Amino acid sequence: MRRFNASRAFLISLAACVGWVLLWAWVTGAGGPVSKLMFPSPEAVFHRFLRMWTRPYLGSTLSWHIYSSLSIVLAGWILGGIVGVPLGIAMAWWKKLKWIVFPVFQLLRPVPPLAWIPLTLVWMGIGDPARITVVFIAALVPWLMNSMQSVYSVDKLLIDAGRTLGANDRQILTRIVCRTALPTLVAGARIALGNAWTTLIAAELLAATAGLGYVALNASRMLDTDVLLVAMLLIGILGGLLSVAIQLATHVLAPWSLRQSGEE
Amino acid sequence: MRRKQSRWPNHGSEKIQATLYGIASLAVLLLLWIAATSLFGWIGARILPSPFAVISRFADLLIDPFGGSTLLGHASGSLERWSLGVVAAVLLGIPIGVSFAWMPWFRAVVNPVFEVLRYIPPFAWVPIAILWFGVSTMTQASVVFIAAFPAIVINSQLGVQQVDRILLNAARVYGAGSLKTLKRVVMPVAAPSIYTGIRIAISNGWMALVGAELVVGKNGLGFLISQGQNNDSVSTIFVGIISIGALGILIDTIVHRSEAILLPWRKKLAKAESS
Repeated sequence: MRRFNASRAFLISLAACVGWVLLWAWVTGAGGPVSKLMFPSPEAVFHRFLRMWTRPYLGSTLSWHIYSSLSIVLAGWILGGIVGVPLGIAMAWWKKLKWIVFPVFQLLRPVPPLAWIPLTLVWMGIGDPARITVVFIAALVPWLMNSMQSVYSVDKLLIDAGRTLGANDRQILTRIVCRTALPTLVAGARIALGNAWTTLIAAELLAATAGLGYVALNASRMLDTDVLLVAMLLIGILGGLLSVAIQLATHVLAPWSLRQSGEE
Repeated sequence: MRRKQSRWPNHGSEKIQATLYGIASLAVLLLLWIAATSLFGWIGARILPSPFAVISRFADLLIDPFGGSTLLGHASGSLERWSLGVVAAVLLGIPIGVSFAWMPWFRAVVNPVFEVLRYIPPFAWVPIAILWFGVSTMTQASVVFIAAFPAIVINSQLGVQQVDRILLNAARVYGAGSLKTLKRVVMPVAAPSIYTGIRIAISNGWMALVGAELVVGKNGLGFLISQGQNNDSVSTIFVGIISIGALGILIDTIVHRSEAILLPWRKKLAKAESS
């Protein structure tokens, strides 16, 4: 097991990236072994990406598809937080509430959020509410579990110590409880957003009239491989950006939590 | 860990109380369900079937084929595709994860591609899998593979990185070759982490399979649910959802239990670390 220094590994990675793209271009290019119907060339993907901003595909331009996906993800995610955080904290606070609600959760948790899609479709029809509901279900569990955990993570000894040293209730809340509880809560928010995004893509494959998952499935049926790849890459990039956005928000709201959870 | 537990005590009597509350809450829910559906009929059967309707539908599906096969046929079809994808992910993921840790240059070359692809959720692969493989077992198995693969690679890599450098040097001093070191020193240390990876992979794969079957296929539990949706049979959807959840629990329990048998030294290791 030899160790590399970071800069050397980075250089190799950079060179490898160029190599991979060149390989991709060669394999899919004229005379290459892979047909355009199976996998598009990088130029085709790039051109299609640029064209999709102005020329509508499946009735809307790319920005509308992106907006449609993002708005539903955020709606479901925020709803999950609005329900999950207070419920989680209350469940940690009042034992009896936890005893009552938790078994129901344990019963529902093993069911993948996707399995609810047909049910929501029957109940609500093909519209935004059905997709928001599924995303909400996917986001709710991490929100709730981590809110509950964040209350447990507060060290009683620290509160007692604070009190001994003369802190008042407000100081205890802001300086001790929030500081220790936020990292877990933020982690929950991040997991919830990741789950929400994954689930939305699946929901869009099944029932949607716009959105990146909808574009991807239809592109595959019409053999528009370049569109398909644009949609896939955008799904990946937007998923990455959402997680980066949460990290940034964490930096602003609770910088100490990044250090605590051991992330860079 | 231990201190945390003592601060939030879970005494025997409290456990019994919690169980009682749980049973009561589930019972109330069940009664409400019965009251709303079969007793007073507040909610129509096309929206929410009664629990009895779901049970009788379950019994029907065990005998009468729906959407091409019986419930057991759908379940075994799902399990087959799922295991195909997971086995492929294990066979490919462990060597790649180990070589990521063992050969940094290999990691530096492959990692950019791996990271880019990892960010694309498994379901986003469904359309391209349809394009490449058509409506076949391969389509769903490949989606399972994509969902399962990253967890195995990452955890294998982490496991190998945990190996103590001193142990490696000691092995070399005693004249062990690369392969022997890998087998006798690295693998025993890395195995628990790899096992965790497999466990995550297994449940990710199960989820992805359900999604893939909902979109495309002619058989499987996900397909059963989507057939229920197309035929406006909510009770079939319920049977499908319950079967998926139950099988998911069953698989996870089996994997969890088998860990103690397959990796008996892990418990000892955990004990040694905590003391």
